Amino acid sequence: MTEYFGTTVADIFATMPKRFKPEEAKEVDIAIGYEATGEGGGKWKATIKHGTLKVETVDGDLTGCKTTIHTDAETFVGVTLGKIGALDALSSQKLRVAGDPKFLMLLLPKIFTPYAAPEKKPVSVTARDIITTIAERFRPEKAEGVAMTIGYDLTGEGGGRWTIVIRDGKCAVRGGLADPLTVKMTMEAKTYAGMMLGTIEAVTAFTSGQVKIEGDMAAAGATAKFFRKYVVPGATEAEELISLRVTNAIEQRFATGPVMGHWFAGLREKKFLANRCPKCGRTQIPPREICAWCRVRVHEFVEVGPKGVVTHFDIVYFASPDPLTGAVRDTPYATAYVVFDGSTEREAVTMDLKKEDIPRLKEGARVRPVWAEVTTGSSRDLIGVALDEQEESL
Amino acid sequence: MKKHAKNGNVAIIGIGQTSFSSHKEDQNQVEMVQEAVINALADAGLKIGDIDCIVHGNMELFEMQFAPDLWHSLGTGAYGKDEYRITTGGTTGATLVCAADNLVASGLYGTVLAIGMEKLQEGNTTGGITNMADPLWFRNLQTGALTGTTSDGACAMIFTSEEKVKQGTKNPPVWIRDHIQVHREETIPNLFGFNKPEMTHHCAARTLFARNGIQDPVAYFDVFEMYDPSAWWAVDWLREFFLLKGDEHLRMLEAGDFDLDGRIPINPSGGVIASNPIGATAMLRPAEAALQIRGDAGGHQIKKEVRHALASGFGGTFWTVLMILEKELNWQEVNHD
Repeated sequence: MTEYFGTTVADIFATMPKRFKPEEAKEVDIAIGYEATGEGGGKWKATIKHGTLKVETVDGDLTGCKTTIHTDAETFVGVTLGKIGALDALSSQKLRVAGDPKFLMLLLPKIFTPYAAPEKKPVSVTARDIITTIAERFRPEKAEGVAMTIGYDLTGEGGGRWTIVIRDGKCAVRGGLADPLTVKMTMEAKTYAGMMLGTIEAVTAFTSGQVKIEGDMAAAGATAKFFRKYVVPGATEAEELISLRVTNAIEQRFATGPVMGHWFAGLREKKFLANRCPKCGRTQIPPREICAWCRVRVHEFVEVGPKGVVTHFDIVYFASPDPLTGAVRDTPYATAYVVFDGSTEREAVTMDLKKEDIPRLKEGARVRPVWAEVTTGSSRDLIGVALDEQEESL
Repeated sequence: MKKHAKNGNVAIIGIGQTSFSSHKEDQNQVEMVQEAVINALADAGLKIGDIDCIVHGNMELFEMQFAPDLWHSLGTGAYGKDEYRITTGGTTGATLVCAADNLVASGLYGTVLAIGMEKLQEGNTTGGITNMADPLWFRNLQTGALTGTTSDGACAMIFTSEEKVKQGTKNPPVWIRDHIQVHREETIPNLFGFNKPEMTHHCAARTLFARNGIQDPVAYFDVFEMYDPSAWWAVDWLREFFLLKGDEHLRMLEAGDFDLDGRIPINPSGGVIASNPIGATAMLRPAEAALQIRGDAGGHQIKKEVRHALASGFGGTFWTVLMILEKELNWQEVNHD
């Protein structure tokens, strides 16, 4: 059934009995004929007699009606929803009434509650829906002379593995990952869907580590221009409201120096390398070139951990948005202050705790580090800590 | 304790503020600054020509405008004068007072105007805070949200030498007896290990009181304007600033000692939880303490006479500024040995 303004003519008639107010129609005795032309239209007859209502579809001519209304389906829906003024429609001849239009305009609002278009559930689009339409959205004119195979490994719900082959001005999508690939992009399926639907910025997703790119980085960046934008099926075009949003994603580079460099090199080896003050003996994390409490140089590195003890913790139930990505993290989340084995008593470190462990978190709990799959010598190597089951079961 | 004598005595002789609001849309930055400066000049009974030097301060990372003092110069009155710009995070306002104190005490300038401002609705505070984090350590993790109140507003103060005070002032002078700026390099996790190191607040108070011969700060001071960015910090910090032991601070709280009619009233101005225009916030503490000494605090003037006031500034991971303000110029007799 063709929709206008998000609803159909048939639905307006189907809901008529529900919207009928019998007590207001006790004195009424009238048959009204409706003819809605064009797609989604048809003929209907509403018979109102002493507080009763009968609505029927009519195949042939509208007979036995005191008043008949003739219009196209779109105008009918528009007038019913109040999106088109009834008087405008009458004066422009889009809506024609045989009989007394004024009488109808007074009667109908009295005996019917207004019709409201049913609320639509938002269309849920998965990465699979988007990626399988990619060949249809291909723009050969933008991909002249391009030959590449792009692999997508999309994890989680609605995900899967696909290879997009662009060659000789043609594009094809295949299931699975081909070998070799020009570039392979790994991310959560919802991240991919968000990027395609414009709710997640591609650059931000990449710089924040949500997208992993292996292979030709430039090829990954170029892919967007080969395709038209994905449009959700059935989505009505939004009004054009102009808003300028500028996000400056700025590459930054910082030298670590030898002391912090040692710390990051340790993370790469899944080790915590603190440095020990020769005077007070404290094991500084992060390591610093001097102990500011004693004002002496610190040279000796010691490995602490990898396990430790939770001294205090916070459980957060209200998360503020991450300023780098705009994403709001899952709540509750826990931040634990951990003193690693072999550390001195004041050298606590703040760590994220594995979400599943929050209910069992307590002061004095033993924890172990949770490392990233691949450690590269950065703060991202250490994901956080988890309760140490081995010691828990003792 | 080593004697800590100033090269010359310095007095606060003018105080001006704007109103404070989460959204001051009625003024641009220059107009807001100008309002505070005009109010301070009027309070001092001076004209801009009487000012020898201007010290400007805000957190320029937040409004994301480099060298904002140049933009603001028509509001500050710095055109054609010597000028300094100061940016020290949450302590900016207090650092402005310290700098003005030093500039006058040194004899370099006779009369100095300091202006602290912030318009947190402009630019991007979150972006600014993220960029304050150590790029090697915390920046990836930092949420970057300002956890305190965020406000727009400005405060200006005028400082002058003892010599100029002797020529007469419109309002009674308030003397800056001493100030200290401290950071002990504790990281916040350092405070959550198995035991705590001496907190910066405690270190600042202990050092400042010792060199001024103040044995019992609760008895000595009549009011304390404390930079307390979140209400839950204030009580804990009072223990550190007043060098209290155990749960003494909690018992004092229960006894009403910190109430406005108590032994040592805290923040009659409403404090930082009432308004927090960062670059002005830590200046408002000594400004409000000075108004209490003068008896000019209006509706929030405390009942007892204020002769000795304490004011603090705070920023980042416990940067602390602490200063002592006096009604009388009579403390030189204190034995520092």
